[in-house]
Amino acid sequence: MSTLDERPTPEADEPEIPTNRPAPLGIVSRWLKRPYARRILQLTVVITAVIIGLTFVMVAFMNMSGGPASDIMNEIEKTMFVLTFVCAPLMGFTLAVITYSWWGGWGMVPADETPTEEGPAIRTNGVAVVVWVSVCSMLAAFLVIWGLVELATITASSYGSVPSNQQPRDAKAIDINVTGQQWLWSFEYPGNGRVTSDVLVVPVNVPLYFNVTSLDVLHSFWVVEAGVKIDANPGAITNTGFTPNKLGTFNIRCAELCGLHHAYMETKLVVVTQQDFDSWIREQGGAKTS
Amino acid sequence: MSTAVAIFEQKHVPQPRQVGKPGGFLRRTNAVTALVSGVVLAAIFYVATGAIVNAVTGGGQQDDLSLPEGLQVQITMMYVGWILGFMGGIGAFAGPIRWFLGHDLTYADAEYMAGKDMGRKKFWKYTTDHKVVGIQYLVVMLVLFGFGGLLAMLIRTELGITWAEVFNPNFYNSLIGTHGIVMIIAMIIAVSGPLGNFIVPLMCGARDMAFPRLNALSIWLLVAAVPPLVSNLLMGGIRDGWTVYQPLADQAPVGMIGYQICIIVFAFSTGIASVNLITTIVAMRARGMTWSRVPIFVYGVMGSAIMGLVWFPMYQYSQILALSDRVLQTSFFTPATGGSVWLYENLFWLLGHPEVYVIVLPATAALLELMPVFLRKPLFSFKLAIAGIFGIVGLSAVVWVHHMYMTGWAPQSNYPFMLSTELISIPFSFLLLVMLGTMWRGKPWARLPMMAVYAVIWNKVIGGITGVYLSDTPVDQYMHGSMFVVAHFHFMLMGAGLFGAMGAIAYWFPKMTSRYFDERYGKIGFWIAFAGFQVTFFAMFVAGLQGMPRRVLQFDNAFNVANWVSTIGAYVIGIGMLVFLYALVISWRSGELAPGNPFGAHTLEAQTETPVPHENFPVLPVVTSDPYDFGVPDPYELEDEELIREAEGASKVGAS
Repeated sequence: MSTLDERPTPEADEPEIPTNRPAPLGIVSRWLKRPYARRILQLTVVITAVIIGLTFVMVAFMNMSGGPASDIMNEIEKTMFVLTFVCAPLMGFTLAVITYSWWGGWGMVPADETPTEEGPAIRTNGVAVVVWVSVCSMLAAFLVIWGLVELATITASSYGSVPSNQQPRDAKAIDINVTGQQWLWSFEYPGNGRVTSDVLVVPVNVPLYFNVTSLDVLHSFWVVEAGVKIDANPGAITNTGFTPNKLGTFNIRCAELCGLHHAYMETKLVVVTQQDFDSWIREQGGAKTS
Repeated sequence: MSTAVAIFEQKHVPQPRQVGKPGGFLRRTNAVTALVSGVVLAAIFYVATGAIVNAVTGGGQQDDLSLPEGLQVQITMMYVGWILGFMGGIGAFAGPIRWFLGHDLTYADAEYMAGKDMGRKKFWKYTTDHKVVGIQYLVVMLVLFGFGGLLAMLIRTELGITWAEVFNPNFYNSLIGTHGIVMIIAMIIAVSGPLGNFIVPLMCGARDMAFPRLNALSIWLLVAAVPPLVSNLLMGGIRDGWTVYQPLADQAPVGMIGYQICIIVFAFSTGIASVNLITTIVAMRARGMTWSRVPIFVYGVMGSAIMGLVWFPMYQYSQILALSDRVLQTSFFTPATGGSVWLYENLFWLLGHPEVYVIVLPATAALLELMPVFLRKPLFSFKLAIAGIFGIVGLSAVVWVHHMYMTGWAPQSNYPFMLSTELISIPFSFLLLVMLGTMWRGKPWARLPMMAVYAVIWNKVIGGITGVYLSDTPVDQYMHGSMFVVAHFHFMLMGAGLFGAMGAIAYWFPKMTSRYFDERYGKIGFWIAFAGFQVTFFAMFVAGLQGMPRRVLQFDNAFNVANWVSTIGAYVIGIGMLVFLYALVISWRSGELAPGNPFGAHTLEAQTETPVPHENFPVLPVVTSDPYDFGVPDPYELEDEELIREAEGASKVGAS
């Protein structure tokens, strides 16, 4: 670097002189001619592609039990793709560098010998630092903005509105009171004659709002394929909600350690058509179990 | 002390009067007397409290409850008796009592307490020498890891045997809780304990830590704190996970008191150790060691100590209040009587999250320290590494609520805490660039510590990307409380923390024990453990994605395959760790003798001889540059300059 500074500055009135100094693009292409550069870039591309492919596998695993079963779960899976696409090139580059170095691309001194030659004394590299820090910061900023917008979206979809300001909700929405206790869930339908059930039966494509509480310790109400989770706290009511968009039977599990039989605290979500739901309510209401 | 003597040599400095033999009471104390007096005092407290409780309640008028309140008080006092008795028996109170009696320590006393010419006995005593404390930490850490690892094997056995319940639910839940907290304690001390105590004062060019007696206090408080925790398994267990959320923890049997006492005492130990490390680093550095010449490992330990010092009291406080709820019938966390579970969760996670960085930072910094040595290159962008460390320390204060996204405590706070959590990836990316830049075009020396660098970067990348998912509230709404989270934090704590610690210990092993770490068995064990680790926790990611909640002992058949694979992987880790342990033991007993500077490092600890002399340096060193002046001028840069010079020459020719 020092020689660059010591270069004699050309006189201002000197005419433009054609030089064979490498153009900015020339620097990149010269860098690419270095033996390791192409190899690392190739590795980066391959690893990035593998990581992006893995996201499909991850989402496939999430959908193995029949999901996505709600609007919220769709958003969650979309977000997973976005997050991976954003992070994958950085991960790919990092793994490419360590793979190349570990594989001996830059040479390697065997463990039982002592290194004799010194490496290049690169103290820092302004371009690398500036590029890296700004790329990472921009990616992080993008993730934050995406996350905030998504969170606002699913919050709107969970609550229909902010519960605290008593805005009217979707008129056809169904309120359901969820109560956790050691070690079972119960569901009460206050709008439908206080029917009570230990299986969550709901109509498809109707917004559901849950008022979740607990009788004893902390539980967490997790409707797996719907991507909804909220803690059930004793002495407090928490809210969540979703709109099921798929007929079928799905899983509800407790996601917070709640004592001895936590593992067995699970039940089913049964999404049925509106007619089936109405007749189910009538059946239950006829029985007047509670 | 030596400088003061040097300056005022001609004047007579009145020394305190020697009372009795050097060391005084401490001549008679050691680990055995501590154990005996701890057990005896625990028994006395137990019986005496029982008598008082009986007298107050009118002689066994207890209701037929499973948790009689009298028993709670009795067990608490028993543990208090154990701690007091143990610390008294080791001689921790000798200093304050001497001071109260007006018997100041003489130089001979200090020499005795530092274990001068004492041989192996000094490792069993209240020894103030930082090198002894470092070895003690190393052994305690290994014991904790052995115990926690055994529990991990039991957990994976239960989860692998999908067709039956091997353990009853109470014992299983206690297993996961005890495994969690034992491993957390082990990881917190894994690098800062052995290496922070042994290596940091050497790196700073000091003769000892700033407060040698506090150093002895911190290790023996830790030793006293662990038995109450382990004993919980005999007293009904802590069946609430390591977080022991309220009010479930209130239902737990008396074993929970052991957990609470352990955390309260361990927090004192950590706080004391942190103060000691910070003071040593700030005030005891060698002449000429300006802040830009301080080795990066010292920065890492300092960052970790700052976080431990600031945040550990929150966790300690949560346990004090929980113990008070249990024994004094207060109601801080019991909703039925007006308490708040969210208060507990907040206090807990105020430490709970920074603690991850308390664990990961020193391990990362140790790798940054050894990379230049094994690559024979300067640390890339030293200042960026420092910025990364302190960026993490600063941001760690404002991320804890991401553990509470789904608690319903304050859904509004999810927005700012998602912001801060994702921002912390920026300082982490600084450290990553420093690692990659140091590795860039370097010719690695394929020894075990360098292998740990590759392993840790790999694990950290995977832990990092899964961390991005979890920091995002919508995705966390699916992932929270599932096995995915478990796999993620194992990648950070074990993958980055433990594998980093293994590399760091292999690197400084010659300095600590005068013998090389066995390269062959060490590497075999390391890579077997690494392979098993990938299998175990990738399978656990799959189970989590499929929707398996954590802390369950039975589950849907859909998760069977993932759990079988994970259990097989866990056994492979177990085998690898045993091989690594074997390597450690044979190296310590009969490894190849190492010179003072086995790897050609430039840091101060490598400049003194091995074994390190009693006061570390015959003459205190003076520092004139940072320890990363490796390397030769970059051939590519020379080539570039050549081209530029040619261009200059051509332009000159053109001009004339």
